[in-house]
Amino acid sequence: MTVRKIEIRERVMARNDELAAQVRARLAGHGITALNLMSSPGAGKTTLLERTLAELGEPLDMAVVAGDCQTQNDADRLAVHTGRLVQAIVTGGACHLDALQVNDALDHLDLAATRLLIIENVGNLVCPASWDLGEQARVVLFTVTEGEDKPLKYPRMFEKADWVVLTKTDLLPYVPFDIDVAERNCLQVNPALRFMRVSATTGDGLSEWFAFLRSVTPLAAS
Amino acid sequence: MHELSLAIEIGRLVEEKLGADVSRCVSVGVEVGVASGVEPSALEFCLEAVFSHPPWNGAKAVLSSPPGDIFQVTWFEIEDDDSPED
Repeated sequence: MTVRKIEIRERVMARNDELAAQVRARLAGHGITALNLMSSPGAGKTTLLERTLAELGEPLDMAVVAGDCQTQNDADRLAVHTGRLVQAIVTGGACHLDALQVNDALDHLDLAATRLLIIENVGNLVCPASWDLGEQARVVLFTVTEGEDKPLKYPRMFEKADWVVLTKTDLLPYVPFDIDVAERNCLQVNPALRFMRVSATTGDGLSEWFAFLRSVTPLAAS
Repeated sequence: MHELSLAIEIGRLVEEKLGADVSRCVSVGVEVGVASGVEPSALEFCLEAVFSHPPWNGAKAVLSSPPGDIFQVTWFEIEDDDSPED
């Protein structure tokens, strides 16, 4: 018997990256900015989005794609705040969203009437970092109830991110969290990171977050 | 664990090249860069599962860990039946 060795050298992520390029092209065709919102579970993605939809849903023609392992609870919570379409993706246990799921979700959105798309990823600081969804920027929420060393423990998530939003800052007086150390740890992993500090409960810092979203959203064609 | 979806994708990549001949595949070489974010032992476990079900016939996963974030299927080996087994 003979054994033949065949070289192929194919990137395992190639198919996801092709689909992400398709998503990117579709969004660009409609003049839509997409953000991939990631964090560990419970960092406040949905609460921040609730506040965001209530404030900017209509003015920025926002749409949201919300991913969860099970239930569409997040999508239901978000839909209360907006007449805009919120599309749920239930991953059925998978730990991240992939570009195929986002591409399918786009079929259910009114792209012609959308300018800002926020993709709420599955709560997880590991897996979502590896999957390009066709977004323009990645935003990681980092909450003050976590350890300041999260960026060092989960470097890939922070390496691939563009913005870090420190959340639940209203809890700072009650937790042993040094926000400056946390930001320094982020910069150690990725010196290009930019920061915002918000509390969706008190509203502190939200104006900066809203201003950021306005600045990345394309102007309405009129 | 996304290593299972990665393992399935690796299986799909090789099946795309080999079709039904994938049953004669004896090993698959995968480079898992140390900064790729993929856990080699978990991936190996999942590949074993993928390769033990039809159309696969128990191919062996051969993982290597080069520097950088490369993550690719580098080669596969196939047993030719043209020469009878001895």
